[in-house]
Amino acid sequence: MTYTTTSAAETQVIAANLAKQLYGGEFISLIGDLGAGKTTFAQGLVAALGSLARVKSPTFTVMHEYPVTGHASIRRVVHCDLYRFTKAEEIRALELEEYRSLDTVILAEWTDMLPDVDWTPDIIVSILHAGNDARTIEICEK
Amino acid sequence: MRVLAIETSCDETAIAILVGEGDRVTVETSLVRSQIDIHQAYGGVVPEVAAREHLEMIMPMLLRTVRHDGEGIDAIAVTYGPGLAPALRVGVETAKTLAWAWNKPLIPVCHLEGHIYANWIDREMLPTFPVLALIVSGGHTELILMHDHGKFERLGETLDDAAGEAFDKVAKMLGLPYPGGPEIAAFAQSGDPKSFTFPRALLDRDDFMFSFSGVKTSVLYELRRQEARMGDDAFRSDIAASFQEAVVDVLVQKTMRAAGKYAPASIVLAGGVAANVALRERLQGAAESIGMPLYLPDFKYSLDNAAMIGAAGYFRAKQERFMNPLELVADPNLDIV
Repeated sequence: MTYTTTSAAETQVIAANLAKQLYGGEFISLIGDLGAGKTTFAQGLVAALGSLARVKSPTFTVMHEYPVTGHASIRRVVHCDLYRFTKAEEIRALELEEYRSLDTVILAEWTDMLPDVDWTPDIIVSILHAGNDARTIEICEK
Repeated sequence: MRVLAIETSCDETAIAILVGEGDRVTVETSLVRSQIDIHQAYGGVVPEVAAREHLEMIMPMLLRTVRHDGEGIDAIAVTYGPGLAPALRVGVETAKTLAWAWNKPLIPVCHLEGHIYANWIDREMLPTFPVLALIVSGGHTELILMHDHGKFERLGETLDDAAGEAFDKVAKMLGLPYPGGPEIAAFAQSGDPKSFTFPRALLDRDDFMFSFSGVKTSVLYELRRQEARMGDDAFRSDIAASFQEAVVDVLVQKTMRAAGKYAPASIVLAGGVAANVALRERLQGAAESIGMPLYLPDFKYSLDNAAMIGAAGYFRAKQERFMNPLELVADPNLDIV
């Protein structure tokens, strides 16, 4: 599905709609240029799952874990950012796939950073700049 | 009191030994992994986030620093959050093991608290309470009110990107090398900070929250509009100067507003972005204009290090805020409060 949004708030609505379709166990790749709105999307998705976590960019901190309470099957979101990685082996050493479990949603930004790492995302969210505050968001379920 | 400190919350493996006496803390040893690799090829570009990297480094670093029986060490301080869970665990489990084996008190320290305590290291003049602390780094942007040793109140923080992260990402857009902070600052020196008007987010709000995602995106749009000028150093300098001005404006204005509201006895700057000269000078000027003492950390203690954890740990140890080594668990989401 492809959507066009004209504000950060609209992008978060698209993220909230995606959140409603999640059960836990999903690996979501968030693809988009600097400033596209990946963290904005993550904030909308995490809030829609009922988490009160303060979602911020994990670029320097690499990975955040947000506890989720009140959802039927999801207990946490792992929010990860591969922007600073320069070698495939470093990404492998993160063992991101080890975080996969039925009560966890993994949200990974910049999985397109290094082409020779094989990812097996369940959902790919691509966000493109479409002039000023407008964005084109493509959600592709594998 | 002699404190062994361990920090592994993100990229850097760090070990330090500090000696505390009264309100004075002095560094005996401070090792940061990147200082040990003399011929390090990547200069901090590579995030050594893998717990494996910390595991490989921590024992050789400890062996260089302490006796195997722990003689001469009175307490062990360790960062237990916030940070990357597998990385934190290496430091925490090491500290727990040493505390248990040596039968020494264990002091859990918050990484952000450590950054603030960089202003207590090797100093004659110490900040007086209440202290207003601005922490600005690649991973954090926070305004903290410190009522006394070990008593913190978070006034505000970033809602999205940290200020240091914005510096690095704008540097990348301008084609400048990593780490971007010093590069932007150098380019900004010859630029006109008024040539572009980038947004000062959340200044209209009377709280102490920050947002640096919008200014980054705004720079990106400007660069796209003027792609042809990207090879022009004068243009890049103007962008760098205008961007830096926008970030510094917000940091300084919000800090001074907090100073007005909470009437602290001193202000301290902390975190890696404390090295930014424009920020230091603007904050210095603003603090002087209201007669408020400002403390700036040594650069070597403003980036991630273990000495700052030892300093925070020493003051916690004075209050005997120890923890049973068997009960300490790393907390990736730890808050300073």
